[in-house]
Amino acid sequence: MNQSDQNEFVNSIQSKFQNSSVEFDTLKIEVDSQSWVDTHKTLKAEFNLKFFNWLSAVDWDNDVKIGDAPKESVIPSFEIISCLSKTNSDDLVISSTKISKEEPQIDSLVEVFGGANWHEREAYEMFGINFLNHPNLKKLYLPDAYEGNPLLKSFELISREVKPWPGEVDVEGMPEDNNVVSEEGS
Amino acid sequence: MAQTMDPNNMPILSEASVSVEIETEDMTLNIGPQHPSTHGVLRLVAKINGEKISSVEPVLGYMHRGYEKLAEVRTYPQVTTLVNRIDWVSGFANEIPFIAGAEKLMEIEVPERAQYIRLILTEMARISSHFVFNGAFPLEIGALTPIFLAMEDRERVLDLLESVTGGRFHPNFNRIGGVKPAAGAGPTTKKDIQDLPAGFYHDTKVAMQKVLEAVDRFEDLIGGNEVFQLRTKNVGILPKEVAEEYGVSGPILRASGVEFDLRKQSNYLPYDKFDFEIPIGENGDCFDRWAVRTSEMRESAKIILQAIEDMPSGPIQAKVPKVIKVPKGQTYVRAENPKGEMGYYIISEGGLGPYRLKIRTASFSNISILPIMLEGALLPDLIAIMGSLDFVLGDVDR
Repeated sequence: MNQSDQNEFVNSIQSKFQNSSVEFDTLKIEVDSQSWVDTHKTLKAEFNLKFFNWLSAVDWDNDVKIGDAPKESVIPSFEIISCLSKTNSDDLVISSTKISKEEPQIDSLVEVFGGANWHEREAYEMFGINFLNHPNLKKLYLPDAYEGNPLLKSFELISREVKPWPGEVDVEGMPEDNNVVSEEGS
Repeated sequence: MAQTMDPNNMPILSEASVSVEIETEDMTLNIGPQHPSTHGVLRLVAKINGEKISSVEPVLGYMHRGYEKLAEVRTYPQVTTLVNRIDWVSGFANEIPFIAGAEKLMEIEVPERAQYIRLILTEMARISSHFVFNGAFPLEIGALTPIFLAMEDRERVLDLLESVTGGRFHPNFNRIGGVKPAAGAGPTTKKDIQDLPAGFYHDTKVAMQKVLEAVDRFEDLIGGNEVFQLRTKNVGILPKEVAEEYGVSGPILRASGVEFDLRKQSNYLPYDKFDFEIPIGENGDCFDRWAVRTSEMRESAKIILQAIEDMPSGPIQAKVPKVIKVPKGQTYVRAENPKGEMGYYIISEGGLGPYRLKIRTASFSNISILPIMLEGALLPDLIAIMGSLDFVLGDVDR
């Protein structure tokens, strides 16, 4: 991987998209949900990002039934995340947009990338996000009669209700300050 | 469709006119989810017209275990156990991008020796995965012999994996910051103690020579077989533009003529220290996909032989907090797995476990092109095309 080529790519993306950041070697751009499809068209045509890597969503919520809640309070919303990359270098771009939870809908990417089809179907069943103009928007993994959207933070694991996760015993009750202990020599 | 017939109004056979143009309609053929050629529990609903497939709809979800949800209620070290089971044919390789992602967020520098051990074991996982492919693919299109040879050869590699990690399929060997002390580490020199088992270098050299011999034998036995060539050459051609649009990666993408391998392009493990080739196909047909994977086994064996020659000494574990807490941040780390690109998008909110973990698996994208590849193909070619994609259902459904 050539470091200067990488920087050139990052600079060209950052000059085109205002809301962009590089965090832990991951280039992420944030766009408006209205320009979601246009952004991908631009990235494909102008930046040679032809490889459709994946698409998914995140449920941002303060009221978390399982797992850890965000440390700082967040505005409840769905974040749609897609990843496009190249097939001649390590360059990749994470695009993200936020949509409201009251009206979870966004334009489908299938017309730009055929590969978005299954990924959008997965996000549809897991989060209940409606992808407009999708050719075949139905459940991918779950049975047709399944109710609920499992990846929502408000969706509880029923098995966890019946019996708490035994692994928690190991993790809880550890003293906070006993922090840095090396494996070797101990 | 059954039509109700009035017995009083039945046409007399002699008066019936025979239409020369026979009207045909598509027949729906359900394949799977328990069909042996589906590598698990994939179901295909195919519409066929005679021998010709007019459309195919894959039905997924029979192996869906909800790992993305489970990861939200597990701590980081516990998630490693889960990700082993995604692509169970090469369990070790699944751990690498997840661990590397967590290390990136925690800004931990992994000792070089631990990276070398990871690299060697990842390549062993690749060889073992491709051995399974070299056995299963010919079996599916009618050659019975290779599966026995492949399973026997794979056993040598699995024995090595077991001697280090203690597990043949689900090693759970990586730790954040390094690797676990080896399971079979007996009394050996002081430098190697609790690190790699006694005699590991020698056994590896012997096993890799056997792998190289096995690859030569497979190229002769399978690739040189005329029936195999007839069944696979010019069958299931995948143009590279379609492959890119659908996110098809790994040996399938390279068989279509795209020279893309994250081992060369990215730096998640020190592959740049070794000399190896990236095998490329020309036509993108089933034969090329077989040939690319088989050549890759040879390159992997070459990498392992080089790696054990200049194995650095030193610790195998970096200093890490006793309670693993990953600071707030987001990152995407990907790796070249035997089946293609595998990556984890980790969103950490500073807790004991990830706030959200998106698992990008190779087989999911790789089989999303099935409806396109199978349209207009012949029914017997369906098995050849599916076999050449070398997917694992755990990797598709997660």
